Amino acid sequence: IKVFVSTEDNQPYLSIPCSEHKITSAVWGPLGEFVIAGHENGEINQFSAKSGDILKKIKEHTKQINDIQSSVDNTMFITASKDNTAKLFDSTSLDHIKTFRTERPVNSAAISPIMDHVVMGGGQEAMEVTTTSTRIGKFEARFFHAAYEEEFGRVKGHFGPINCVAFHPDGKSYSSGGEDGYVRIHYFDPQYFDFELEV
Amino acid sequence: ITYLTNLSLSAELLDDILREKPQEADGIDSVVVVDNVPQVGPERLEKLKNVIHKIFSKFGKITTEFYPEADGMTKGYIFLEYAAPTQALEAVKNADGYKLDKQHTFRVNLFTDFDKYMNICDEWEAPEKQPFKDFGNMRHWIEDPDCRDQYSVIYEAGERTAIFSNDAKEPIINEERARWTETYVRWSPKGTYLATFHQRGIALWGGEKFKQIQRFSHQGVSLIDFSPCERYVVTFSPLMDTKEDPQAIIIWDILTGQKKRGFHCESSAHWPIFKWSHDGKFFARMSTDTLSIYETPSMGLLDKKSLKINGIKDFSWSPGDNIIAFWVPEDKDIPARVTLMQMPSRQEIRVRNLFNVVDCKLHWQRNGDYLCVKVDRTPKGTQGVVTNFEIFRMREKQVPVDVVEMKESIIAFAWEPNGSKFAVLHGESPRINASFYHVKNNGKIELIKMFDKQQANSIFWSPQGQFMVLAGLRSMNGALAFVDTSDCTLMNIAEHYMASDVEWDPTGRYVVTSVSWWSHKVDNAYWLWTFQGRLLQKNNKDRFCQLLWRPRPPTLLSIDQIKMIKKDLKKYSKIFEQKDRLSQSKASKELVDKRRAMMEEYRNYREAALQNYQEQKNLRLELRGGVDTDELDSNVDDWEEETIEFFINEEIIPLGDL
Repeated sequence: IKVFVSTEDNQPYLSIPCSEHKITSAVWGPLGEFVIAGHENGEINQFSAKSGDILKKIKEHTKQINDIQSSVDNTMFITASKDNTAKLFDSTSLDHIKTFRTERPVNSAAISPIMDHVVMGGGQEAMEVTTTSTRIGKFEARFFHAAYEEEFGRVKGHFGPINCVAFHPDGKSYSSGGEDGYVRIHYFDPQYFDFELEV
Repeated sequence: ITYLTNLSLSAELLDDILREKPQEADGIDSVVVVDNVPQVGPERLEKLKNVIHKIFSKFGKITTEFYPEADGMTKGYIFLEYAAPTQALEAVKNADGYKLDKQHTFRVNLFTDFDKYMNICDEWEAPEKQPFKDFGNMRHWIEDPDCRDQYSVIYEAGERTAIFSNDAKEPIINEERARWTETYVRWSPKGTYLATFHQRGIALWGGEKFKQIQRFSHQGVSLIDFSPCERYVVTFSPLMDTKEDPQAIIIWDILTGQKKRGFHCESSAHWPIFKWSHDGKFFARMSTDTLSIYETPSMGLLDKKSLKINGIKDFSWSPGDNIIAFWVPEDKDIPARVTLMQMPSRQEIRVRNLFNVVDCKLHWQRNGDYLCVKVDRTPKGTQGVVTNFEIFRMREKQVPVDVVEMKESIIAFAWEPNGSKFAVLHGESPRINASFYHVKNNGKIELIKMFDKQQANSIFWSPQGQFMVLAGLRSMNGALAFVDTSDCTLMNIAEHYMASDVEWDPTGRYVVTSVSWWSHKVDNAYWLWTFQGRLLQKNNKDRFCQLLWRPRPPTLLSIDQIKMIKKDLKKYSKIFEQKDRLSQSKASKELVDKRRAMMEEYRNYREAALQNYQEQKNLRLELRGGVDTDELDSNVDDWEEETIEFFINEEIIPLGDL
C-alpha cells in the first residue's frame, strides 16, 4: 500500500509493503487513521496510516476479495469476494455484521447512502464466460436488504460480468460497469423507495 | 553344509551344487493321489499304466509312479510324482472328475492335502458367540410423521456428503459428514443401507444415526451391486485377481459380513456383470457362448453346470418372475432368435425368430408384464437400418408378440413402470419426436400421441406411472417437458440450464433436476419440482456432485387396503390440507419473527454507529480544515454553478404573409 499526501511531488508519504498475500482493494478508515485492505486470500487487515503496522486482522472470506467500498459515513464497509458472498463489516472494530450470499463470484458491492440496501455485481471469471448462456443473462446487479440479508431485486442488462457498481451520493441512482465495455446508469423509480419486505 | 567346507570350490560351482541339493519339501508338493483307478491284475497292469501315463503326462513330466498292490491286484489308487508342484496342481485342476469309463471317475488330490485334512484338530471348538450389535430401527426413516423422503447429496467435489429429508419448503438436514466416501455413494434397493467407497473396501451405514453396520474389505473396489433382496452385495476391484484365488468380483453376505464366493472378471465394461433374479434366488453371468446361472445361498452353479448357448449376445432377468430373456445373432442358415427361459426348470417358454438382425436390446417393463425387444434390422435389399419393437405380452397364454415398426432412428425408449404404456424418442436433432403408445388388451398397440420438435434425449417416468419428464440433458441445455400421459398433455415446459441429471423421488411426487460439478464446473445446484412441473426450490451447493433419493421398501399394505384408502381419499386429503395450511402459517410467522429480530439488531447497531459518528464531527472538521463534508449540501457556498447552453433543435415556422 502506498499512502500519498497530496503534494506536488509524486512521492508516497508511507509505503507499506505486503509480501505474503497481495492486496486487492483498500479504503480509508473513518478518520484517516488507518487503511482497511482486502487480500488475495480473503483476509482483511487494518494498517495504521502513520506507522504501517497492522492494527487488526480478520479472515471471514475464503477466497480473494475483489472490492471494498465504504458507506457514505465511513462507519461500515462492504467487501465483495470470489467466494460468492459479500460481507458487511464495522470499519473501526472490523466486526462482521452481515453476509449476502449468491451462487456466483461477486466482483463489486456498494452500500446505499439513504436506504438499508446494498447492491452487488459479479458473474464469472472473464475466462469462463463462454461456458454460460448469455441468453440467461447471469450478469445482473442484485439488490439485497442490508438487515434481512435477503435478495429483493435484480437488474439485467449487461451481457458480460459486472466489474464495478456504485451508488450515486444522493442514493437516487446507481451505476454499473462491466466486462462488455459499457457503463450503465440507472435511476430508481418511486416504487424502489416505497418497497418494504413483509414484516 | 559342513561337507563342502573342506573343498576349495569356486563360488559359482558351489551355487550350482547347492541348488541341486535335494530339499525335503519338494518331493511331497509334487505328488498327487489318484483314486477310483481300475483294479487290475498283473496281465492288464502294463496297459493300465500306459493309459494313466497318456492321460496324466499332459500336465507335466511324471518322474515317479507308484501302484500299490494287495493280493495280486492294484489297490485302486495310485501315486504320481511330477517334476514340479505347479504340474501337480494342473493335474488336480484338470483331471479331477475325469471319466475313464462308466464305473471309474478319477478323483485327483494333492498328497499334501491329505496331510492337511488329517491334521484338523479333533477337538471341535464351538465358534465364539459374538455379542449382538443392535443398530436400532433400520427402517426409522420411513416412520417420519410427515412422510418426508430422504436423499443423499455429495458436494464440495466429494469432500462432503449429507443426508436431507425432503420438505417442499426447504431441505432438512439429517446428517452431514466430511470424507464419508472417497468417490460416490449407493443406496441398497430397499433403502436400508447407504454404501460408501474407500481404498480398502466398502462400508454400509444405516439406522437412525447412520451408524456403520458392516465393512467389506476389498482393496481398490470401484463398483458394487446389491441383490434385490438386500441379502448380498457384490463388489468389484480391478486389482485383486490371481489364478489360484479369484478375487476380482466378491459376493458378500451382508448380515454376517462373510465372503461367500470370489470370481474372475476380465472386464467391468458392462457392470453389473452378475444379474440377479428379482427374488435374489439366482444370479447369472454371460461369457463367450455360455450362460452361467448360480443359486443362493450355496453360490454354486445351478445343476452344477453352465448353459451352452452359442453366440449369446445379451440376457436379462424378468423383474417379476424367474424368467431369463436372451438373444443370439444369425448363424449361417439359422435366423437370430430371442428366447424366454423359465428358471430353474430351463424350460423354453417362448422363442421368436428374427431376420436380418443388426442388434437387439432387451427392455423389461418394471413388473415383468411386458418385454420389449428393440430390433435393429437391415431388410433384404436395402442399406439402411430400421427398428422394430417386438412386444412380448408375458401375462397372456403362450406369450403373443406384437410388432411396432418405427420409421426413424431411436434415441430413447422407456416403459411406464407399473402400466402398459411406453414412450419413445425418435428422429434426429433438431427434429426429435416423442411418441406415446398403449399396449391394449385387445391385441393392439395404439399410438396415443406424438409431440414433434422436442428438445429431449432422455425419458424419465415417475416410479408410480402416469407422469413423466422428457429432458434434454447436457448438450441440449437442460430443456424439460412435464407430461401427464393419462391424456398426453404437456403440463409444463421449463428449463434447468445445463442440467445433467433427473431423479424422481420414490413416491412420484417430486422431481429433482441437477447440474453436477462432474459435468459442468459452474452453477452447481439441484432444483426441486412438483410432478406437475412447478418449481419449488433452487438449492445451490458448492461443487455439487450427486443427489440420490433413498429408495423405499415395498409397501406393507395389501391390494385391498390400498383400494380402501383410495376410496376414502377425500377424507384424508381434507386432513392433510389442514395440516399443510397450519405449517404454512407457522412458517410465515417464523419468518416474520426472524425478520423483526434481525431488523431490531441492525437498527441498534446503526444507532450506536451514528452516535459515534456525531461525536466525531469535531475531529472530522479538524481533519478537513474546517470544511463540513457530512452532508451533500453541507457547503452550498462552495458549489460552483455552471450553466451550459447547447443546441437541441431548430424549427422554422412560417408566419404567413404579413
